[in-house]
Order: sequence, then C-alpha cells, then structure tokens
Amino acid sequence: MTRRLLLLGSAFLLIALGLAWGLEARHPEPVALTPSLTGYVEYCITCHADLPVISPSHPVETFGCVLCHGGERLALEADLAHSSMRGGGNPSALDVVEESCGGETCHGGTADDERDHIQRVQTSIQVTYTGAITSLRYTFGAQPDLLPFYGVSAVTDTSLPSHTGILQLLAFDPAMESSPALQAFGQNCLTCHIGGLPAAGEQYQRLSGCVACHSPASGEQQVHTLTTSLSYTQCNACHNRGNYDLRSMTFVERSDQAQTRLQEYYQPIAQFTRCEYTLDCVDCHTRTEAMGDGDLHASKADSQYIQCQTCHGTPSALPLTRTLSDPDDIAFRLAFLTPVVDLQLGDTILITEQGEPLWNTLVLPDGTYQLVGKATRQFFSFRPVLGSDCTQTGLDQSSASCHACHAMDR
Amino acid sequence: MRPNFFHHLHPPTIPAKQARWRYTLGAGGTAIFLCLVLVVTGALEMFYYVPTPAEAALSIQTLSYLVPFGGLIRNLHFWAAQLLVVVSAVHLARVVFTGAYAPPRRFNYLLGLALFVFVLLLDFTGYILRWDTGIQWALVVGVNLVHSIPWAGETLHRMLVGGAQPGSATLLRFYAWHIFGLMLPALIATAWHAFRLRRDGGIAVPPPRQRHTPERISRFELVRREAAAVLFASAALLLLALLSPAPSAAPISDITALTGEVRAPWFFLWVQQMLQWGSPFFWGVLVPLLVLALLALLPYALPLPVSGELGRWFPRSNRAAQILLAVLALVVLVLTLLALRPPA
Repeated sequence: MTRRLLLLGSAFLLIALGLAWGLEARHPEPVALTPSLTGYVEYCITCHADLPVISPSHPVETFGCVLCHGGERLALEADLAHSSMRGGGNPSALDVVEESCGGETCHGGTADDERDHIQRVQTSIQVTYTGAITSLRYTFGAQPDLLPFYGVSAVTDTSLPSHTGILQLLAFDPAMESSPALQAFGQNCLTCHIGGLPAAGEQYQRLSGCVACHSPASGEQQVHTLTTSLSYTQCNACHNRGNYDLRSMTFVERSDQAQTRLQEYYQPIAQFTRCEYTLDCVDCHTRTEAMGDGDLHASKADSQYIQCQTCHGTPSALPLTRTLSDPDDIAFRLAFLTPVVDLQLGDTILITEQGEPLWNTLVLPDGTYQLVGKATRQFFSFRPVLGSDCTQTGLDQSSASCHACHAMDR
Repeated sequence: MRPNFFHHLHPPTIPAKQARWRYTLGAGGTAIFLCLVLVVTGALEMFYYVPTPAEAALSIQTLSYLVPFGGLIRNLHFWAAQLLVVVSAVHLARVVFTGAYAPPRRFNYLLGLALFVFVLLLDFTGYILRWDTGIQWALVVGVNLVHSIPWAGETLHRMLVGGAQPGSATLLRFYAWHIFGLMLPALIATAWHAFRLRRDGGIAVPPPRQRHTPERISRFELVRREAAAVLFASAALLLLALLSPAPSAAPISDITALTGEVRAPWFFLWVQQMLQWGSPFFWGVLVPLLVLALLALLPYALPLPVSGELGRWFPRSNRAAQILLAVLALVVLVLTLLALRPPA
C-alpha cells in the first residue's frame, strides 16, 4: 500500500517537474535594452519589438520606453509591467505630461530656449477653454462682463510678466452655477479641450494631451507615432464636426457627408478662400496660436492672430520677412523637425506680426513667395497684394474683408 | 535493514492505529517539510533580494522574471508559506480535536502554539519584504497597531520602524527579523517541538491495556509514509507555484502616499475586519491577544481528555475545549469572509 503510494507520489512529482520545465522553456527570452539617456536596462521590447519607433526625434536606443511611459522596466508579466505606466497608454495626458515629456532638456524647458511647450500648452486656450466658459457665463448672466475668471481646471501664469494681464484662472465648477443652461454646458461641453477625454461616441474619438494633435490617430485606432506634420484631418478630429445648440446646450453633429475638402469646412454660412481649404491648418497657423504663447488669454480671438495679410501683405505694404543670418534661429530647429524644406542661412522667409518664422515659406528672387505644405510637401506659389488690382482700404484687412472678393463658391 | 539517519529520527515502532493518515492528517510532518522548503527557497532568494526601499521590489522583479527558475523559487517560497499557515492551523485543530495536548504534552502544546505565532509573524514580515504598493496599507496599519499600545507603544513602534515613519530602516529591520529574529528561534523551537514529541512518549495513545489492537508499524514503514507525503506535497506545491504566481505590484515611490487597496494579508483579514469597529488597540491588539490567551489556557482551564479516550477523534471528555476552538475558528472564518466582501 505504502509502496504504491510512493510510486504514485513519484509519478505526480515527475509530472509537476516536467510541467515546471516545460513552462520555463516557454517563457520568452528576455530582450534587454539599455537606453543611453537612462542607463537602466529595460525589457519592454521582449513583447513590444513590433512597435515602430515613435518619431525620428525619439530613437528607442536613446529614450527606451520607460523614460516616457513609466511602467515596470524589469517585469515580464503584462499586468505588473503596465501597472505603473503614466497616463495608461498615453503618457502625454496633461495630468502626467510634465513627468513624461517634461524636464528642462526636453519639453519642459524655459521660454528663452523655446522648450517650454508643456507650460505653454497648459495655459493655452485649447486647454483652458476659457473663451467659451466666459462668454456663456456672460450670456446667461453669471458675470457682468467678459473678463475671464474660469478655465476647465485651475491654472496660473508662471511665465511673468503677463502680456495679457490675466494671472490665473479658477477651475470652472458647473455645480456652483445657478443657471440650468450653464449646468448643462458643464455637463455636455467640457469635453472640448485637449486635456479632457472626448465625449462618448465613435465620431468624437480622439486622444488627449499632446497626442490629441501630435499623433495621427483617428477614431479608436491608436498608432505609436508622434508627428509635427499635422494634416488638416488631425484638426478636424475636433473642429468642423458640427455646431453648438445653445438652447439645448448640446453639440449637434453635422449630418452631411463631405465630398470635397471645401465641404469639410463646416459653418454653412461661412466663406473660405482657396488657400484656406487647400493648405493644411498648420501651414499658416503657428505653434503659439495652437499651443499657446505662455500667457493666459481670454478667448480664441485674443490668441489667434494670423490673417491673410500675414503672408500677402496689404495694398500698401509687403508682408514681413526675415533673412536668416543666425544659425540658432528657431526657424532652423522647426524646419529640422518637419523636414519638408532645405532651409539655408541667407534665405529670406516670411514672418508673422509677432515675429514667428513662417519657416516653410521662402521669398523668391522675383518678389513672389513659395510655401511648402508641412503635411503634403506640396509647393505653392503666391504673390503679395501690393501691386495687384486689390482695392481694399488699409483699414479693412481682416480675413473677412478678403472673403468679400476671394471666397470660393461652395 | 540497518536504520539510516532519517530512520533514527523516528521511534523504532509506533501504534498502527494512530499512525494512520485519518488520525494525524499528516499535518505536523507536512509542516516540517514546508519549513524545509521555506529555508531552502528563502536561502536561494537571498542571493538576489536587496533589502533597500529603492531596490527591494526591483530585485524581486529581477528574480521573478530574469533569473532562470527564479520565478518558480519565489512562487514555491510564497506558496509554502501560505500552506504552512493552513497546515499549522490544521495541526492545531487535530491536536485539540483529538485531545492530544493532555499532560504530559501541555508544554509541547504551548511550544506548538508559539510556533504558530512565529509562522504568522514570519509570513507577515515576508509579505512586507516585497516593499511594493501592494503591502503599503498592511505595513502602515500593522505598525500603527503597535503604536496604539498604551505606555510601550511609542517605544515598540520606534524599535520596529526605526524612525518616525516607515523607511529604509524599517525594511532592514523586517529583513533582519524575518531571517534571524524570527526564523532562527522558530527553527530551534521546531526542533524542540519534535524532541518533546519523542520525550513525551510519541504520538498520543491510550494506556496499553485500553488499546483495541496492539498492532504497531516500524520506523521503516513510517519513513516510507512520510516520503510518500513529501512527494505528494511537493507535487501539489509545484503545481500551485506554476499555476498561481506570487503577487507583485509596482515599487513604492513614496511611502507616505498610500495607494492601492486597503487589505491585510489573508491571515490577518479577520483583524482588519474588527478594526472597523473602533479602538485599534482593543480590536487590533487586545482581542487577537485574547484569542491567543484562550488557546494557551485551553489545556489548563478546561476539562482534560481522559487517558482512555486518547488516540481518536473527538473524545467526549474534552468537549469544552473542542467547542472553544470550533467557535474561535468559526468567528475568524466569518470575519475573514466579511473582510473579503467587495466594498459597497
């Protein structure tokens, strides 16, 4: 009896040992990577070898995975390895972005070296959403004027002096509002800022944080790519999707199916010139318009300043230009990041009224201009207004005035 | 056949009736086997484990995922420790439900009870050595319980934690307690426990004239049975270790920022449940000590089994002790189940 038990026990133990050996042999061979920036070995690529390098500026041999994503660099079990990842799969979510993408040598530097992207984004109108909050509170009688008091979350301007005079915004709390319309606004509409998660529904899907703009993902599909070549479709993930209904305080998704690029612009009553629907948004609109200039602004109108005249000038003046003489000019860094033009010292480019380089433009010897699409790499040439048949007066130089003659037939 | 070293650890013969599985449940022997597994796997873990807050959890990850068979060693250590709590409790229950603590075995009963406390403390200190976010609450609650003791709490807390709040000194102290302060005395007490078993006359049996059968088995048969038990226990342990890995969580980045679920290790869930009822000192320290005191007093304060009833389950003569243990076990079980309920 006991001898039989011994035999049976031995058989069980042998089976268990065989199983242990088999399972050990089935474990994936750990693949080590020691990124030069951290010096710590990490094993993420044991499972994630198929992920593409996120961008040419972030080679995996230099950055690895953990520096940006967090996570357990030694764990070869998915749950544990992913348990401490910053922002889930999105380290650029605004609540963790400083830790993931910040640091003075990365994107959390100073305004002087123009590496203060995170600080600027946190105060930008796309994050604070303060224009919408302010105008609605004013409209529904919650405040007597259009002075900005609230953002989606509390934010302080740390880059003093403030050129706008707005030093801080408090967190907008819909529960403190007496107007049902403002409460509904808080309920339904605060998803429209890049720090927030999008509203439910496939049509609203986008990523949040930096990758809301900088990752060419659409819908629920996510890709491991960061880019500065932003196509207009990336902007359309939020813009041109429909219209607000202020009576029901809801967003009404557009019902039409756009067949052409011109139709993709919404606002049925609005007018657009050819360059507005031929170029990509980022071909004209600058990074400080989109990502903020470090100051808190009251509304979009206060921070968005590019007009037709920025590139075309007026009937009485040519657009502003700069001849690149400094090798450290920010134009070269921007052109390096989005390599669509071969910018050289001595080239003359257009600049904005605030001195930002339109580095994808070039002033040609014949006095005309050239622009290269940042996403499309298409070449466009155009002329200044000065010397043309334009009869516009010098006082009416906003884009709306240009639309009077140059709007396309929709 | 000449008896070898292992045979000599056993008496030449023991009564066949009391050597049956259904009487001993094999619990005491399995507990000793699990202790050996724990010593061997623990010694292997010491080659990789680094007892510093920055390195502890990472060194466990290295052991678990990057060292060949390291994960298996850690899982075996974990499961042997959990099973030891269960097997020790079963052994205690067997001794009480068969009346095997009757004189002259009362001292050995107390030794066994002390060993059970050692097992719980070793399990708790081992749990803390993970130093990951999964153990943070248990650590803080545990050391705060010590702090709640009147008069001596402050000093005991400082001795245990090594500072005002848990940190590197705490981890080093738990490490030292786990490996020296608790394990060495526990090993000595285990040897003493086994020695007293022999000295007290081996397994509890009725006096010779009251035995139903004079049949005995030899030490050779006994060792064979033990070997079979070891084989089955090893296979079961291996399967548990293979199928259910020991828990891990992300390393603690800030000991003062408590994250994760508020949960004690499973064998202290009953205490965690009582802590909801008020005074941490009363519910968290006094009541568990009271339970321990009741168990310790059981052979002294309650009617003892008569010698003629020894060597079988549930003798009538010590019914009171059996009921006391059953009630205590039921209360602990119910409290544990209550603590396992998902939060409302």
